[in-house]
Amino acid sequence: MGLQQNLHDEPVSKLAIREPVLAVAQESLREVIGRMREKRLGCAIVIDDDRKPIGIFTESVLTQLLSQQGALALEEPVEQHMASPCPCVKATDPIMLVVEAMQLKNIRFICVLDEAGCVSGLTGQKGMIEFVADHFPDQVMVQRIGGKPYPNTREGA
Amino acid sequence: MVDTPTPDPEEFQDPLENYDPKTYDDPLEEALAEETVEQIRHEPMATISPDTTVQAAVEQLAGLHVACLLVEEDGQLLGVFSDRDVLDKVAFEFDKVKDEPVRSVMTDDPIYVYDTDSSAAAFSVMAVAGFRHVPVLDLQQKLVGIVSPQRVTEFVQQRLPTA
Repeated sequence: MGLQQNLHDEPVSKLAIREPVLAVAQESLREVIGRMREKRLGCAIVIDDDRKPIGIFTESVLTQLLSQQGALALEEPVEQHMASPCPCVKATDPIMLVVEAMQLKNIRFICVLDEAGCVSGLTGQKGMIEFVADHFPDQVMVQRIGGKPYPNTREGA
Repeated sequence: MVDTPTPDPEEFQDPLENYDPKTYDDPLEEALAEETVEQIRHEPMATISPDTTVQAAVEQLAGLHVACLLVEEDGQLLGVFSDRDVLDKVAFEFDKVKDEPVRSVMTDDPIYVYDTDSSAAAFSVMAVAGFRHVPVLDLQQKLVGIVSPQRVTEFVQQRLPTA
C-alpha cells in the first residue's frame, strides 16, 4: 500500500503518540513551563475536570509573551494565554486529517482524544514526519546525519 | 612509451548497458531518493548576528512569527536560536540573560544538510535526530536556507498523487 493510501486508511493511533503535558486553567505559566521543560515538549494541553481539552499553550506563545511583557508574564494563569479551542483529532480518525490540519491551519501540535473525548495523547509535525520516515526506511534511515559529504583531502597517496 | 591498443568501436561493450535504473513503487519514495534538498522550499530564512542581544532575538522571533533564527556571521552558520531555546534557556532566566549576546544561549554546531543532499536527508535529520529546523548550506559552506516541518510536509503533499 502506498503512502497516499495509508494516510487515508490508517488511524491517527498509528502515528507516534506522546504523553502530553497537562495543565489546569488556574496554574501559573511558570509551573506549566517547568513541566514542559522537564518533558521536553513544546506545548501543554489545558484540561477541565473531566480531562477534556479546553485550550493549548505553546512555546511560540511563550516567545510572544516574553517579547511583549518580559518575565512578568510567567506569573499569570495559563488560561489567559492559551489558544482555544485546542486542535484535536480522535485516535480513530484517518492520519490525513492531521496532515491537512498541519498544512492548512499551520498547526504544530494536535491533541489526540479517546472515544469519550478525553485527552489520550499528543501528536503533530514530529509524529507525521516519523510516519513518513518509517514508510521509506530504505531512503530516510540510511542518510548521513551531519558532517561533511566528502573528505577535505583526497584518500590515498 | 607503451603503445596502447586503439579500442575497436565494434568490440566495445558499455559496462552500464545492462544497468537497469532503479524503479520506485511510490512517487514520494522516488522524490525522496532522486530529488535534492534544493527542491524543498528553504527560503525565506531569518538570520541574526551572534552579537544580537537575547532580548532583541526574542523580539525578532516574535515579530517575524517564525520558530527559528539562523545565527550567522559573514554567511557562515554559527548556530540556531529557536522557540525551544527560549523555553529551555531563556524563559526563567530572562531578566538575567536578556542583555547577553544570543551566542550564549543559541544551539551551536547545529546539524545541517547540503542543498545537493537527497531530500530524504532532511527527513532523516528531523525524524532520526529530532531537530525540527534544519539549516541548508551549499558546498562552499555558505548558508542558503532552512527547511522546517511545514516545508517538508508541503513537499510531501505536492508529490502525493491527486485522487
